[in-house]
Amino acid sequence: MATEQLHVQAGEGHGHDHHDHYHGNFWTNYVFSTDHKVIAKQFLITGILMAIIGIGMSTIFRLQLAFPDMDLSFLSPLLGKWVDGGSLDPGFYLALVTMHGTFMVFFVLTAGLSGTFSNYLIPLQIGARDMASGFLNMLSYWFFFASSVIMLVSLFTAGGPASGGWTIYPPLSALPQAVSGSGIGMTLWLFSMTLFIVSSLLGGINYITTVLNLRTEGMSMDRLPLTIWAFFLTAVIGVLSFPVLFSASLLLVFDRLLGTSFYLSDIYIGGELLHYSGGSPILFQHLFWFLGHPEVYIVLLPALGITSEIVAVHSRKPIFGYKAMVGSILGIAILSFIVWAHHMFVTGMNPFLGTVFMLFTLVIAVPSAIKAFNYIATLWKGNIQFNPPMLFAIGLVSFFITGGITGIFLGNAALDIPLHDTYFVTAHFHIVMGSASAFGFFAGIYQWFPKMFGRMMNARLGYIHFWFTFISLYCVFFPMHYMGMGGVPRHYYSFSAFNFSEGFMDLQSFITTAAIVGFVGQFFFLANFFGSIFWGRKLTEETKNPWKATTLEWTTPVNPGHGNWPGAIPKVYRWAYDYSKPGVKEDYILQTVPDSDIEYEEGFVPPKAPEVGKPQVEIEKEEVDD
Amino acid sequence: MDPQSLITLAQVLLGVILLLVAVNLYLVFRFREIDPFAKWNPNTINPLMFLAFFVFGMIMVFVLQNVYKEYMTITYNAASIHGEKIDSMFWITMYVSIFVVVVTNSLLFWYPWKYRTRPGHKAIHYSHNNKIEIIWTVIPAIVLTLLVARGVVVWHDIMSEPPKDAVQLEVNGKQFAWTVRYPGADLEFGTTSVQYIDDATGNDIGFNFEDRRGHDDLITQEIHLPVGKPILLNIKSRDVLHSATLPHFRVKMDAVPGMPTSFWFTPTKTTAEMRKIRGDEDFNYEMSCQQICGAAHWNMRRVVVVETEEEFNNWLKSQKPFYATWKEVTGSSTGGVAEVSAEAEEGTMAAN
Repeated sequence: MATEQLHVQAGEGHGHDHHDHYHGNFWTNYVFSTDHKVIAKQFLITGILMAIIGIGMSTIFRLQLAFPDMDLSFLSPLLGKWVDGGSLDPGFYLALVTMHGTFMVFFVLTAGLSGTFSNYLIPLQIGARDMASGFLNMLSYWFFFASSVIMLVSLFTAGGPASGGWTIYPPLSALPQAVSGSGIGMTLWLFSMTLFIVSSLLGGINYITTVLNLRTEGMSMDRLPLTIWAFFLTAVIGVLSFPVLFSASLLLVFDRLLGTSFYLSDIYIGGELLHYSGGSPILFQHLFWFLGHPEVYIVLLPALGITSEIVAVHSRKPIFGYKAMVGSILGIAILSFIVWAHHMFVTGMNPFLGTVFMLFTLVIAVPSAIKAFNYIATLWKGNIQFNPPMLFAIGLVSFFITGGITGIFLGNAALDIPLHDTYFVTAHFHIVMGSASAFGFFAGIYQWFPKMFGRMMNARLGYIHFWFTFISLYCVFFPMHYMGMGGVPRHYYSFSAFNFSEGFMDLQSFITTAAIVGFVGQFFFLANFFGSIFWGRKLTEETKNPWKATTLEWTTPVNPGHGNWPGAIPKVYRWAYDYSKPGVKEDYILQTVPDSDIEYEEGFVPPKAPEVGKPQVEIEKEEVDD
Repeated sequence: MDPQSLITLAQVLLGVILLLVAVNLYLVFRFREIDPFAKWNPNTINPLMFLAFFVFGMIMVFVLQNVYKEYMTITYNAASIHGEKIDSMFWITMYVSIFVVVVTNSLLFWYPWKYRTRPGHKAIHYSHNNKIEIIWTVIPAIVLTLLVARGVVVWHDIMSEPPKDAVQLEVNGKQFAWTVRYPGADLEFGTTSVQYIDDATGNDIGFNFEDRRGHDDLITQEIHLPVGKPILLNIKSRDVLHSATLPHFRVKMDAVPGMPTSFWFTPTKTTAEMRKIRGDEDFNYEMSCQQICGAAHWNMRRVVVVETEEEFNNWLKSQKPFYATWKEVTGSSTGGVAEVSAEAEEGTMAAN
């Protein structure tokens, strides 16, 4: 294994016979492959399956919320005893909410998104044969797979899966007496997440090492596509924050199994006084959100990176303010570690901490605003091509603005008092983190599907899918702001107990209807995705760069083998955003084209005769001058 | 056959017919090799749809705002002094947000139309502009600083020390109800601890009746508050996390087992006044739980009544101390209580 790796990285001079190193059998090629492209597809398919389950769960509990009188016994083949009597069991409702959150946040938008695109694009876009360690990369997927399987198994336990919310706050999550999901279901949750954390760390360390060490000649850090910057910093955040979740979970395991009192104190439950004494549930919340808040950016940053690339490619313009974009990702990455307690303003935490965390939280809005402005400025005076990935990228920017702005309300400790744990919060994070990241995911799939499978996806189905999804997501999550302003609480099984939450039942049914329509709309995507793998229009060597992008992945053959480039790894002469340069024949210049090879329009005199051997100097100077 | 299943049958039939028509059309076009949408240019339709979506969306936002205005409990008609400050802060933030969202989203949806690709159209090569980038970094920074400054002041006011003369009451969270306690005539709570809890005798917050200060404590079914007086809400939990939420008063604080918390506020409108303002004779202030706490989390309601101080005092007098009820239930006066020594009392206080 190790020698093979060395061969791969040595790269040069491997020429035609390189493929021979990788002749393997079915198992090593498709199952336990160490090829980053195969692993990326494995993450992608697993992520899509988990997304179907996660979104499916939300449609089930949305039915219960909006139509409490509806007979749900048609779901009994699926849910069995949990829909006895025609309506959802209230405890199982919480379990569905919890599992929806866990699946979407961790399995779809963390592992699915980062796992797919970091794996696929990092080596291809920086010009590497593979990840720094293909073996660890394979382990990363299989740990993720095992973790998914265990989480799925927990759905079938007698007491039901974990049901204390995806934030698993103790004591609820620590005591089986408190809610039935906190028995074996919670044990499996913790076990599954432990494997997930291992997977995430193996992946993250690999991504960081690869970006730092395996860039091809000429690919300096300031020439990296913004996708890579986003994946790189996401990996750094993940490596620094996931271990803290592991520690938090470990202490919770001790409390549950060994009778320690890290998080528990003075508890009387189920007619029985428990022995716990001196622990603090607040401690868990601090530890959890130390991961939990960076996690939001682990989910969002890759989507933003993908969008930066796509907006530039399909506007045929350089991304506006490349350095500001890198700077704001960096700023967000650093700030994401010192804002966690804004989730805890009303937990009884010292109010002084509230002040500090409010300050940092609102500071993080500045780099976010810069990113939004830069996307819009990139569209300005562009030549915008409305391909499916571009639609999703524009949709993402819209979600990012609409959902991000409500963060200014929730990050303000005083406003958080009434708004905390209402639908306003649900609306906020489903738009800015859920919908935006999901759109990043879709945009990425539409953009790089041709590279992944050597075939095009159907554009028309893509348009239909986009409009279904875009409109339904806004219809589902925007009205939740109004419910939040009515004080309607999250996690409620029924709104009938309180006068103040009763007035929104029309809106509830509207939301559920929109959610179901949106869910059905996803079948356009699934049909398109799986259909195009087999029957999509094939790419040829001439059309292998369908979006006319500048980055390195499009210089590989239509179906790149293990090792990515059949010959030598290409050299890089410019940054990733040379679109629509004046006087140049094509409206893009591949990163691999030296200045001396640029084809100019007839009669156009290049600003300065390209000096052979000094191409870098010229480019850097030009960037400054602009 | 009842009418309901007839309608269902009709719907299913209609669905099947539509599906068959769609399949039929598809096959016809497919075999004749006609593309009915050939003239639909995605580079025109998509940006137009974005514009239409934006305009229609904006209209719907304001329509819904007006339709649901009367239900917006936590942004209009605050019933406490600090609540009014929060509301004004909320609406200032809202106006800033609306401005930002409308401006940025307008550009976001207008540019795709204006700069859509078409024959002969070209993009410009324009990679950055330091001046404009500095402007749009500094302006949000200033606006956010102003919002933070105001937020800090309001937050600091709300979280300040409660006035000495505040009316005290305590809410105890358990699965799945709030137990409400008033200190009684001596204005002091008796000590409680989880180890004394005995649900069978109704002692569900764990009174230790060796502490005589607890003898006049009241356990009530409703929360009553005098208008215009500062209220100190003491919040406890005996099992899992709960969150004591009084939305109309903009009050929310978690109930944490092992760590008492509190929140003080001053109600400004009696229930009767609020009924008049809202034009709803059945209106009641309510208290809920807003931290996920188990299967019946959604059903932890307590009615809150705000009344004049006189009415409040009368109500307090009409309540029977819990100790008396408890003695009836247990059928004894627990001999020891009468001759509790000062020493023992000190002991429990220290433990508290």
